[in-house]
Amino acid sequence: MSRDAVDVVIVGAGPTGAIAASELIAAGFSVTCLEQGDWIPRTEFTGATPSWELAAQRRWHPNPNVRGNPADYPIDVSESDVNPLMYAAVGGATILYGAHWVRALPSDFRVRTLDGVADDWPLTYPDLQPYYEELDRQMGVAGLGDDPSYPPTAPPPLPPLPIGKIGLTAARGMDRLGWHWWPAPNAIASRPYRGRPVCVRRGTCQTGCPEGAKASADITHWPSAVEAGVRLVTGARVQEITVDERGLANGAVYVDRQGVTHRQPARLVILAANGIGTPRLLLMSQSRRFQEGLANSSGLVGRRLMMHPYAAVNGVYDEDLESWLGPAGQSIISTEFYETDLARGFVRGAKWQVMPSGGPLGNRSGYHGKADISGDGTVPDPLAGWGADFHRDARRSFGRSFEWGIIAEDLPDPDNRVVLSDTMSDSDGLPSPKILYRTSDNTRRLLEFHLDRAREAHRAAGAIETHDTPLMRDCGWHLLGTARMGDDPSDSVVDQYGRSHDVPNLYIYDGSNFVTSTGMNPTATITALTLRSVRHLIATSRQQEVAL
Amino acid sequence: MTSSTSTTLSTARIAVVDAVLDVLIPGGAGMPSARAVATTTRWLPTALDLRSDLRDQFVAFVDLMGTYPPDHDAMVAALREVATSQPSLFAAATGLLAGAYYLDPVVRGALGYPGQEERALLDETGSYIDLLERVVERGPAYRDAPLDGEPSSGEGDF
Repeated sequence: MSRDAVDVVIVGAGPTGAIAASELIAAGFSVTCLEQGDWIPRTEFTGATPSWELAAQRRWHPNPNVRGNPADYPIDVSESDVNPLMYAAVGGATILYGAHWVRALPSDFRVRTLDGVADDWPLTYPDLQPYYEELDRQMGVAGLGDDPSYPPTAPPPLPPLPIGKIGLTAARGMDRLGWHWWPAPNAIASRPYRGRPVCVRRGTCQTGCPEGAKASADITHWPSAVEAGVRLVTGARVQEITVDERGLANGAVYVDRQGVTHRQPARLVILAANGIGTPRLLLMSQSRRFQEGLANSSGLVGRRLMMHPYAAVNGVYDEDLESWLGPAGQSIISTEFYETDLARGFVRGAKWQVMPSGGPLGNRSGYHGKADISGDGTVPDPLAGWGADFHRDARRSFGRSFEWGIIAEDLPDPDNRVVLSDTMSDSDGLPSPKILYRTSDNTRRLLEFHLDRAREAHRAAGAIETHDTPLMRDCGWHLLGTARMGDDPSDSVVDQYGRSHDVPNLYIYDGSNFVTSTGMNPTATITALTLRSVRHLIATSRQQEVAL
Repeated sequence: MTSSTSTTLSTARIAVVDAVLDVLIPGGAGMPSARAVATTTRWLPTALDLRSDLRDQFVAFVDLMGTYPPDHDAMVAALREVATSQPSLFAAATGLLAGAYYLDPVVRGALGYPGQEERALLDETGSYIDLLERVVERGPAYRDAPLDGEPSSGEGDF
């Protein structure tokens, strides 16, 4: 079944699809967005119920292989050190993200020039700054201006959320060490903001915000975009981007939840399906002209996958810190060890954040990859933590612990990649993505250093014990690099505005575009890039070559 | 919150689970035992509904434990053996039991856990602004980056 042609078809209703749709409809384009998931009513979030912790282990787990929702597609991770995390719905991963709203640093755009590895981006921090500032306003970011981690910039529109006893305790430790820290910026309302209520510190942000205080695209952008005329089709799983005889993208083929195949013709195509979904779709969109996958003359579609290896140190304190309180979200952050110092034996660095510890079962109790309880690498008694230990451990740590989380910059490696699985497929028979991903020596040295420093930070803050999670397998929140931007079509997939080098009316607006991963949660940068790119598209639309 | 009736265990299996819980979660440190708050009959069905993916594993675990004598010392030895020989099965089943136990409001109250409650936002900046001044006094914490970059390398080497 074929629909009437539109100016733009967007694949994916996450934050970038939402921003692109909002800008384009306001500029007079006709827009259809195809989303394989559905709207999620806030009444389905379990954060305000006693069943929250158990529900977080499965139904609201960020790993689609654990959730197994109808909208999820299975992912082959048999050759990956890290599990990719994502969520298919109107709002995309912002439904489950922690709303850590942090920008890349100026050096992130010049890694090759400054550190002699990886590549430089085809744009700079000053190029993005105005878009970062506008997204702060669009999303309603709460934070404190004048963080010396960044050049001078407009302050966030909302005051910072409480850092809590965990943040104050951690901050005092950092102060004793003379290390950088700052109240964390969060896309979570600290005042009523554009129809969103104030955060109530429930701390269940990563399983959906029952109050709607967290900025997710189903709240911040989609309602007004739909009201303005965007046609948002849910339950639409796109299986191919088609091209015409000139090699221009001319629409998307998708299957609905009744198994009926549709074709949505369009003059422009925008992919916003994340760093796994976008390359998967491009690789599925082979044709006589694009035999290695659509837009893939460089051979880089799917390659250079970066997923931010994550480690953490949990500190236990001899005082009640009420550490189940949110936001979760982040309390305070540190960039003390973000920039390269070659004396450490590795390049690049990591951003740290303090996060709450969750309920009695512990934050991320359903995640793969657990802390080394013994702390010394020895094999504990298999019944350690049970019997008399069970209550003693709970009394010692519950409400009295918090985590310093470490987001490690992940250097691009062409062998870390997304391919199509030969053996696994989704419920519509489409080949699953297969992830080939290994952490590097640089990453291992980096994490070892940061774990040492994080333990040091906890001790300076008064921790009575610490527990490491050296590399948490369920940490692939940030799916980056698989359709990298660049000026040279021979070694990049898109230009600095997300436009495909090979297909002039095909755009990619998601983390696939990243050249390097940075060490920062990427959503602020992904959305700033999208806003810049779509406005450029609109401004140059008269010169745009289109299909149909 | 009421427990679901969609997942029920036989009387024999309930007895096995109770014996297991007597070892894993006894009373102590001001906390009630799992048996005292009827974890098996009152909360485990709810936990199994929330983690229906663990149902088969849990039943397999219970039936395995049911092959051992139910006295305390034998149960301790049996659990240690299962934890060693089948760690995934042990972890899945015991994690579920802990989750069920912590559903109980008496348990939560004894632990001092109010649940993920609502709290009013208060302005706390006064408690840390002096610490932040020392951060600011140390000056910019970022590296300057040139506006011009190197041509693309194609691959990273590190």
